[in-house]
Amino acid sequence: MKFYYFHLMPYVMEHDEPSSWVTLSNRFYDPKQGQTLYNQYLDQLEYAESLGWDGLCVNEHHQNCYGTMPSPNVMAAMLVRRTSRAKIAILGNGLPLRENPLRIAEEIAMLDVASGGRVISGFVRGISAEYFSTGINPTHSRERFYEAAELILRAWTEPGPFPFDGKYYRYHYVNPWPRPLQRPHPPVWCPSQGSSETVEWASKRRFPYLMVFTPIKRIAQIYGEYREACQRHGYTASRYQLTVNVPIVVAENDAKAETLARKHTMWVFNTGLRMHPPFWRPPGYMTESSLRRILQNPPPLPSELTFEQADREGYIVYGSPTTVRDKLRVFADELKAGIVCSGMNGGSHEASLEMMQLFAEEVMPHFREDAEVDETAGVGR
Amino acid sequence: MAPARRELSIRGTLIDLLSDGAGTPLLFLHGAGGGGRWLEFQERLAKIHTVLMPSHPGHGGSPAAEWIEHISDIAFHYLDLLDDQRLPRVHLVGASFGGWIAAEIATMASHRLVSLTLIDPVGIKVDGWIYPFLFGMDIPEVVATVFHNPMAALALAPPDQSAETLALQYRQGTALARVAWNPYLYDPLLRRRLPRIAAPTLLAWGAHDRLAPLRPCGETWAKAIPGAQLSVFDGSGHVPHIEEPEAVAQAVLDFARAAEGRR
Repeated sequence: MKFYYFHLMPYVMEHDEPSSWVTLSNRFYDPKQGQTLYNQYLDQLEYAESLGWDGLCVNEHHQNCYGTMPSPNVMAAMLVRRTSRAKIAILGNGLPLRENPLRIAEEIAMLDVASGGRVISGFVRGISAEYFSTGINPTHSRERFYEAAELILRAWTEPGPFPFDGKYYRYHYVNPWPRPLQRPHPPVWCPSQGSSETVEWASKRRFPYLMVFTPIKRIAQIYGEYREACQRHGYTASRYQLTVNVPIVVAENDAKAETLARKHTMWVFNTGLRMHPPFWRPPGYMTESSLRRILQNPPPLPSELTFEQADREGYIVYGSPTTVRDKLRVFADELKAGIVCSGMNGGSHEASLEMMQLFAEEVMPHFREDAEVDETAGVGR
Repeated sequence: MAPARRELSIRGTLIDLLSDGAGTPLLFLHGAGGGGRWLEFQERLAKIHTVLMPSHPGHGGSPAAEWIEHISDIAFHYLDLLDDQRLPRVHLVGASFGGWIAAEIATMASHRLVSLTLIDPVGIKVDGWIYPFLFGMDIPEVVATVFHNPMAALALAPPDQSAETLALQYRQGTALARVAWNPYLYDPLLRRRLPRIAAPTLLAWGAHDRLAPLRPCGETWAKAIPGAQLSVFDGSGHVPHIEEPEAVAQAVLDFARAAEGRR
């Protein structure tokens, strides 16, 4: 199994505001504190490479304390020059959120060239709240996503210049310099919550599917749908097309790990993802059939998720190295996920570094039967 | 008396249409959340007029129409309805979002309007005002923004919290957002076209409208439409036809009768 270190770059804080997104006033953000955090977080990502992680992940979110990376490409650029081996996975850029998505084609190509072809390019729609912070019409989200994806893929693969006349994006000259280094283009991943439309779209193109913060039962179900869709498209899914993002807490014993998970990991759900209810469900962001599916079996709001439920349903992995190994066996052997992306929070920078080291020494080596495999060969393009 | 319900297909787009009454035809265009709600206001109008109340595509009983991407699409849709129903001229009454559609229609074809009544319309950019963003509000915030008397909101309350009701609300919100998310609740082109409106125009305004306040919104409309009459309803917020149905209906009926006399 491959391990990617996933950083949200949160601005961890406690507050009594109704929402950690969109309306949480940026007067709470202290840029001096931000300077410290950014640099610690980048140190952690660089350290992950030196400890043997296969990839480093950044992602895009706007106007919140959950993740302070409105431009993941900026963070990726910093990592490109400070690392030399690990993949740099941008999971992803919110395609519909851009007025000019050709910029994504250009920026990813820049990163790919400068990094010597280490970039993985996630394509996402952006979560619901993003449509409140950017003003983009959520009823256009899906169409803009598909159209921008087509534009970017063509910009990477077709010799320019060519005209592009879409419904949302129109250009007389598509001809980005530079072109990406990886051929035909950097691998594309689809981080998602499991909408059937996205499963279909990703599987058809061999784009790896990343389940983020999802209970194990649901991951198994969506992986099943994805594998089935791949068969329908005439091929068998590689295990590196099935990826998962799950927070991991490892400590010298289960009790200590539980204490840390209760405090720091649950912050991500209970505070980081606390959202004014309308921000969860902008009109038209999902199809009516997706809405009906959710209404049949509504998932808990992250802000109301209890540690017990998160533990029981597998939203998180925590424990001693032995326990974490056993829990990850479920991902490796039962779900047959090829790549586990995870962030680690020990409560302080130093504690996080120690936790990463413990994981790299005591857990990671037990999953290295595929050490020589290139997980990006033949997938994502 | 319950109104008659009909399903029409207008150029392939289905309309759930409520109608009642006799007399000269009056087309009523409902606001957000008003689709299929035949209330006291409509009953009173139907005592004098043949009242036609279609649900906008994606609202009430009318299915969503994918082709509708701009407010003018809905305006043309209703001009098509008038043609289909062989109604050369009507009284046109629109409330809030429906008032926006009615104003668009009036800029296109005011010769087809015997009279035009706009009840707290949105739809234009008003200098010095930004409409509060209802999409970002929960229900209590929406009620506090739209209604002067919150009890009046019960008239639009959903019957239950079933999946069917929630799906309908989502469909209505989606249909509204398709044309009104950004720019929010206005068409940048509409305001400069308002002087084209040649039909006698009544602006009925709730004195306590917090979504589109009398000052500056109502006053801006009154200046922009030639000869428009502005009537203020002291007991109302954004939806006077729901908050003070008797008084607003009477004002509409009086105005329509005067307009007919002018012909």
